[in-house]
Parts: sequence; structure tokens; C-alpha cells
Amino acid sequence: MERREFLRTCGTLITGGGLASLGGVLGSKASAVEGETMWQIDPERCLQCGRCETECVMRVSAVKCFHANQVCGYCDLCGGYYREGVKELNTAAENLMCPTGAITRRFVEEPYFEYTIDEDLCNGCGKCVKGCSSFGNGSLFLQIQQERCLQCNECSIAKVCVSGAIQRVPVGTAYKLKDHA
Amino acid sequence: MRNTVLVARFPKPDFTSGYQYPDVLHRVPMETFWSWVDVVLLVGMMGFVAWAVHRRRSRRAILAVSIVSVLYFGFFRTGCVCSVGSIQNVVLAMAGGDGYRLPLVVLLMFLLPLVFALLFGRVFCAGVCPIGALQELVNVRQWHISRAVTSALSFIPWVYLSFAILYAATRSQFIICRFDPFVGIFRMGGDVGMLVFGVLLMVLSVFVGRPFCRFLCPYGALLGIVSRVAVKRVKITHRQCINCRLCHHACPVDAIREPCGGKVAESRTIGTRRVALYLLLLPLLTVGAALLLQSQSDTLSMAHRDVWLYTQLRSDNPPAVLPAEVEAFHEMGRSMDELEASVVSVKESYRRLSAWAGALMGFVLGCKLVRLSLKRTRKTYEVDPSTCVACGKCFSYCPQAGRSTSQPMEQRAENGVYSNYPESRQRSSVAQHVNESTRFIKNSQHEEKHL
Ligand code: SF4
Ligand code: SF4
Ligand code: SF4
Ligand code: SF4
Ligand code: SF4
Repeated sequence: MERREFLRTCGTLITGGGLASLGGVLGSKASAVEGETMWQIDPERCLQCGRCETECVMRVSAVKCFHANQVCGYCDLCGGYYREGVKELNTAAENLMCPTGAITRRFVEEPYFEYTIDEDLCNGCGKCVKGCSSFGNGSLFLQIQQERCLQCNECSIAKVCVSGAIQRVPVGTAYKLKDHA
Repeated sequence: MRNTVLVARFPKPDFTSGYQYPDVLHRVPMETFWSWVDVVLLVGMMGFVAWAVHRRRSRRAILAVSIVSVLYFGFFRTGCVCSVGSIQNVVLAMAGGDGYRLPLVVLLMFLLPLVFALLFGRVFCAGVCPIGALQELVNVRQWHISRAVTSALSFIPWVYLSFAILYAATRSQFIICRFDPFVGIFRMGGDVGMLVFGVLLMVLSVFVGRPFCRFLCPYGALLGIVSRVAVKRVKITHRQCINCRLCHHACPVDAIREPCGGKVAESRTIGTRRVALYLLLLPLLTVGAALLLQSQSDTLSMAHRDVWLYTQLRSDNPPAVLPAEVEAFHEMGRSMDELEASVVSVKESYRRLSAWAGALMGFVLGCKLVRLSLKRTRKTYEVDPSTCVACGKCFSYCPQAGRSTSQPMEQRAENGVYSNYPESRQRSSVAQHVNESTRFIKNSQHEEKHL
């Protein structure tokens, strides 16, 4: 029995030493300054493949359409608002790009319209973003709404994103926007 | 790289009506704050459990921790990042590349339960881990599974761990997160397949204690190794075991091993020879498994997106509808040379790491064989420290229960210390049982004197 006790004490010491050195090695690789990381879409890489709508673990995706007003042309014929090739510019649902009616517009002054996204309705499908990038200034873009995101250890969308646009970033730079480009 | 920003087809409007751009403020949740709350609670709860297990010897305190953990770590913090998954972050940081810096909080999540396991046994599993706590809370029955089946199944966590390391180190996937059956329950949503699996496991854990912990959890495997040499081991009772077998039925994870006195099946030389044989077999198993897994490394490497993409691009009969990834590859204008270079390096790291993963599996298998063939010397019911999750269920089942060793057992029996026994067991004449057991002990002490 004494031999057992001795062996066990040795084991304890070895394991303790192992844990301590593992902690040391990892500590040198850890970053206290940057702290936590968050998931972020790089709008410059996103191809609006549509997976952001379907792959997020939330029932309604944490990815939302963001609007960079500073970049927007305030056009009447908005590529993100109207479907491609609509005959009449009225707001009947069949003419509009957004499947959930999340985009509203407000007349500012001739000939400008201001566009706003209702985040509660947006499901991150990226249809408007595609329209805006193809026919407009590219002021609409998809981004992870950090207050909704659960910060999964591995983002389910990042895993399948066709362009590898979703990466971990330090909390300090959580949002990559287009406003100040 | 493709650039979709600022195609500026239309000039910036010059408003004349004094229009102001709306102020948009994107708020960031206090993620850093909450993750430090996580760490503080983690330490606090593990410390509390350690006290409840070793000092207070109270199951109720541990139960309270379980409830808090399920509510806070589970439903409030939605189960991410947990210590189980943190293995992968640690491996990813060790493997380097991609500029991944391990957040300090995740490092602590990984290390602290191991440190506590080395000091006090698996107090993390007792009730602090939301996954374990959830299974514990729904558990009512302990259907015992035969020892042979349990031993065989308890190899699965090691296989899982090896693959998790392989896939995390090659930056392919976090499979522990991908196949976490309980995170969906905590979030009340998510992947349907995993939700179904989670619910099935929950139903199973009503009848069998902690199926995930015992037969799947890779972190539990690590904790088990560490707590085998724990400074303070979990004890069923601080007094003399009277071999009444009552605790044996209570343990949800079958960690209580029965005494094996008198069952000498073979002579000493044969036993020693068998152990020696297995010890010789150990390196063979390790190398064999390493080579076996390495031979499959090309197939395994398909889990990496670049390798998969490359195979799709190079396939002789491409599907009619191109996968979105292939289209994206063309659209992004990524060069084929760059992709090829990436594929070569990924495959290379798969060859190296799959050998290590295989070696780990083979080594563990060998160690398990050696352990099974070691001679047993238990005279009383004992806790196997590596399987015991410190749940404290056995404490009150023991007729010798109690905190100190001062009060003699018969007196305690008269004082009615068994009031927290289940009805059925109380009626099964505990007193008589105790008397018999006492005689057993006295007899054995008697015999010892004569030897
Ligand atoms: S999955 Fe990637 S490419 Fe597809 S919409 Fe989301 S960020 Fe864009
Ligand atoms: S079109 Fe899709 S991405 Fe754009 S606002 Fe509507 S739901 Fe959101
Ligand atoms: S981290 Fe999770 S919640 Fe956030 S966008 Fe990705 S999948 Fe959705
Ligand atoms: S074995 Fe794994 S899942 Fe179970 S309680 Fe321990 S760490 Fe949690
Ligand atoms: S404390 Fe350990 S030995 Fe006792 S019932 Fe719980 S798991 Fe089993």
C-alpha cells in the first residue's frame, strides 16, 4: 500500500508539473489585451451566397443588412429596393426585392429617397445587398449584428461561408462597416 | 481580391433641404465583462462543490450548484464557450497559424477545471459543467450497464478527442461544437439533427446516469486522467466501509468498484506475465494505430475546405449544378496556384497530425488493456477516482455516512441518521443490515489478528 501511495504522489507531482507547463506555454499564446473575440463578416469578401440566412444557429439569423448612408446614392430607382426589371415603380410587394418587407424608404427631397432597414424583419438573405452591389453604390451590406449573435465557439456560418468572409476579430473592432470608406 | 465597395455608380447627393445623415450606433454587447463573470463563477462554484464534497458531504449543495449552472451557463450564456469545447481553441492556438490568439478567458476555462480536478477530483463535472448538470437533473434511475460494455464504450471519448484535436489543429472544423447535442437545448433552436440527438440523450439520461459524460465527453476523459492522481479523493464515507453494497446502487456513473478479495483466479506468475505482455504490446499498438490512421490521412483531409474545393475543381465529371463554393472560387478570382499550395500544406499537416492522433488512440487502448489486467487488492467498496464525477449521491446511501469519524456507527443507527434514506431502502431493515456488516468487519479483523 505504501508503494501505491508513493506512486500516486509521484503521479500528482508529474501531472501538476505538466499542467503548469501547459499553462505557461498557452499563456504565452494567449492574449489578455485583445481579450475576447467576436465573429465578423468582411463585407468586401461577402458574395451574398444566401447561407447567412439559413446557416446561423438562431431561428432568425443574427446576420442583418446594414446600410451605409454615407455611401448611398439616395436613388429613386434603388437596386436593393426594387427587383430587377420591375415595370412600375410602386411599392407593391411583388416589385420589391426584400422578401420580408424590411426595407422602408422615405422621401427626402427631389429626387432623393432615404432607405432604412428594419432589423427585426431582416433575415440576412442578402438579396438587397446583391441588388445594391450590382446596380447601386454598394451601400447595403451584410454584417453580424453583435447584440443578437450568440458568439458560438465556431460560427456555423463561418464554417460554410463560400468566400471565407467570416473571421474572428477582437471585440474592439467588432463591426466592419462601409460608412467611412 | 474582389472589391465590391464603393463602385460609386451614383455621386453623393448634395442635399439642399438641410438633410442630416442619420446617426447609426452599432452597440457591442459587454462580452468581455460577461466572460469574466463566467470565470469568477466557474472558480466560485468549483470551490463550493469541493467544499460540499470533501467537507460538508452534502448532495443538496451540489444539486443547487447544478441548477445554477444549467440556468446561468446553460440557458443564460447559451452554453458557449464551454470547457469541453475549449480543447479545440487550445489546440488551434498551439498549432498556430491564421493569427489565432487564444483569449485568456478561454484558456482559463480550459485549465481551471483540470487544476481543480488535480486537487479535489472532478468537482467541475459534479455540477458546474452545464452539460453534466443537465443530465444529472433529469436522472432518476440508474440502470447499470455491465462492466465490459462500460469499459468498451469509455474508449469512445478518446477517439472523439483524437479527432477533435486532429480537425482543430488542421483548422478544418470544431467537431465538438458541431456535434454538441446539448447546446441546441440551451439555445432552444439550431440544427435539427443535433436537437433530436440531444433530446434522445436527455431521455436516456433519465434511466442511465450521464450517458454523454461517460461515453462521449472528451474533456471528461482528460479530467478522468488528472483526477486519478488527485490530491484529495472523493470518499463514500470517512468511516470504515462495512461492505453493505448500498452505495453501489446509488452511483449514476458506476464509479464504485466492489471488493475483490478472495477471487484469486490465477497464479502470480501468470498475471505478471500477462501484464508484461500487454506492456510490450503498448508500443506496438501505438505505432500500429498511428500508421493506420496516417494511411487514411488523404481521406480525412477532405474535411478541410480547401482540399474539398480542390477535389471539386479537379473532378472529372463535375455536377450539372456547380457547388456554390466552386462558383465563389471563380468569382473571387483566387488563383489556382495559391489553392494548390494551400492543399499541399494542408495534406502535409494531416499526414503528420493523423499519425499523432492515431498514436494517442493506440496508446490509450494499450493502457486500458494493461489496467484491466492489473491485480486488484480492494477489500471494501471503493471509488474509482477517474470515473467518479463527485456528484455526492453515494454519501447519504452509506450507513456509515457522516462528517466525522468520532461517532460510533451503532449509536448513529439508533439516532436515526438514515432518515434521508429512500423509503424502500429504509424498510429493508437497515439495522439488520448494519448488524450483519458489523459482524463481517469484526470477523475480518479477528481473522487478521490470527494471520
Ligand atoms: S455565407 Fe459568407 S458569402 Fe454567404 S452571405 Fe454570408 S458572409 Fe456572404
Ligand atoms: S433583402 Fe434580405 S438582407 Fe436585405 S433587408 Fe430584406 S431580408 Fe434583409
Ligand atoms: S456566431 Fe452563431 S449566432 Fe453568431 S452569426 Fe454565427 S452562427 Fe449565428
Ligand atoms: S464529463 Fe464532460 S460533459 Fe460531463 S460533466 Fe464532465 S466535462 Fe461536463
Ligand atoms: S460521488 Fe462519485 S462515487 Fe459517489 S455516486 Fe457520485 S459519482 Fe458515484
